Amino acid sequence: MSDDELLTHQTWADALRDGELLGQRCPECGHETAAPKAACGRCGSRALETVALPTAGTVYTETTMSVVPRGFEGPYQVGVVDLGEARVLARLEGEVAIGDRVELEGALEVDGEVAPLFS
Amino acid sequence: MTDARIVGVGMTDFGVHERPLMELFAEATFEAFDDAGVSAPEIDAFYLGNAMGGQTERDTHLAPTLATHVGMAGIPCQRYEDACATSSNAFKHAVRAVEAGQHDVVLVGGVERCTPATGLETPEMTEIFATASHRQYEQPTGLTFPGVFALLTKRHMHEYGTTEEDLAAVAVKNHRHGTHNPRAQFGTETTVEQVLEGPVVADPFRLMDCCPFSDGAAAAVVASEEAAESLAGTPVGVAGVGHATDIVPLADKVDVKATQAARDAAAAAYEDAGIGPQDVDVVELHDCFTGAEILATEALGLVEDGEGGTAATEGRTALGGEIPVNPSGGLKAKGHPIGATGVAQLVELTEQLRGEAGDRQVEDATHALAHNLGGDAATTVVSVLEVAE
Ligand SMILES: [Zn+2]
Repeated sequence: MSDDELLTHQTWADALRDGELLGQRCPECGHETAAPKAACGRCGSRALETVALPTAGTVYTETTMSVVPRGFEGPYQVGVVDLGEARVLARLEGEVAIGDRVELEGALEVDGEVAPLFS
Repeated sequence: MTDARIVGVGMTDFGVHERPLMELFAEATFEAFDDAGVSAPEIDAFYLGNAMGGQTERDTHLAPTLATHVGMAGIPCQRYEDACATSSNAFKHAVRAVEAGQHDVVLVGGVERCTPATGLETPEMTEIFATASHRQYEQPTGLTFPGVFALLTKRHMHEYGTTEEDLAAVAVKNHRHGTHNPRAQFGTETTVEQVLEGPVVADPFRLMDCCPFSDGAAAAVVASEEAAESLAGTPVGVAGVGHATDIVPLADKVDVKATQAARDAAAAAYEDAGIGPQDVDVVELHDCFTGAEILATEALGLVEDGEGGTAATEGRTALGGEIPVNPSGGLKAKGHPIGATGVAQLVELTEQLRGEAGDRQVEDATHALAHNLGGDAATTVVSVLEVAE
């Protein structure tokens, strides 16, 4: 795969704004990520394929934060959603618990930064 | 290759300090100099830990400034910045330089200010701490540092049945230990009921599950075995150091509750020291949150996986228990000035191995272990100290 096909953060963020969660699949070790990198986080392979990740999964872990950073208004729930081969850190809505089924609702946008939103 | 020794230690009280970094640093450094029986011209190099001075103090070239302030101008200086594992990383490099024969006597210091004395209140400091998580794939969700460890801990609770009472037991224990430490930020006891009644910060963590914002400094003089013999300070041996990292961001880690970097760093440190977890007599570990202590006791092999919570509740990790953890009060009660934390753990353990720890002394301790974690459980440095022959 040539360099210009490597998934960038910009492409990932633009896709998320369009309701699609892009990720990468490593053909060497099978690891999938929703946080695109220049090489596989598990094995270092540069032969990464861009893939559309599932838009539904189960909550792997979560927390509701009451004390939040400047620029955010709490409380809100953040969690890791298990999408099968990949996991993604996302904002969660609906007071979901570990093991609950959730679906991608779209993108949360704060100050030009984008994060996945599941409920 | 020579062995490294810690020949002198010093630290300020941890808490709120209305003084610039250089003055805090000098207090800890001169205490370490006097303890070691050295003066500034005898120091060959300076390894500094400071994580956030650029963001909190508008100070980004600190090492030469601090070296000059304590009379060490001219020597090679370097600053390490590795989130909360900052000064143990500086210590590791000082030890390696001494072992390699590059330097004979090295100062390792850590200093940080994180309290509102900096002019920054909780939302700003929470934002700064959050910069230790992934810029693109963690920070935009609004994740905080309590949030990072809450995610790890909730999974541990889900898989092992660890309870909020178990978490509270860690806070109660470390506060009780802190009452015996005159340098601790919190010198009062607390109860499980009080912890469980506190306001939620990031569930399952309530206020008393979290370490405080702290200001402070800590310093240690590291010397070769040969140099140590000519110095007045009572040396302790550096038996082993392990340093490992895990995948970032945390969603990509294989198993978030395993804290794999701690397991890898501990394995390296144990091998370096030629001991196993059963040989450790006293531990200072990175209890930035109560859940972090539970995960760390398991990762270090001090208790079986899944037993970290019950070990705390049953008193197995308390002073007088089978493996005393955080006799200093830990980050929870002693305080957590980010860049000073790793060296402060070594200050406590040096005093423990010398038998100078007073009411919190672990009897007949010959091997001590420090565990210092940084970022979203991505960096861990584990150091093993021993009574010098
Ligand atoms: Zn791979």
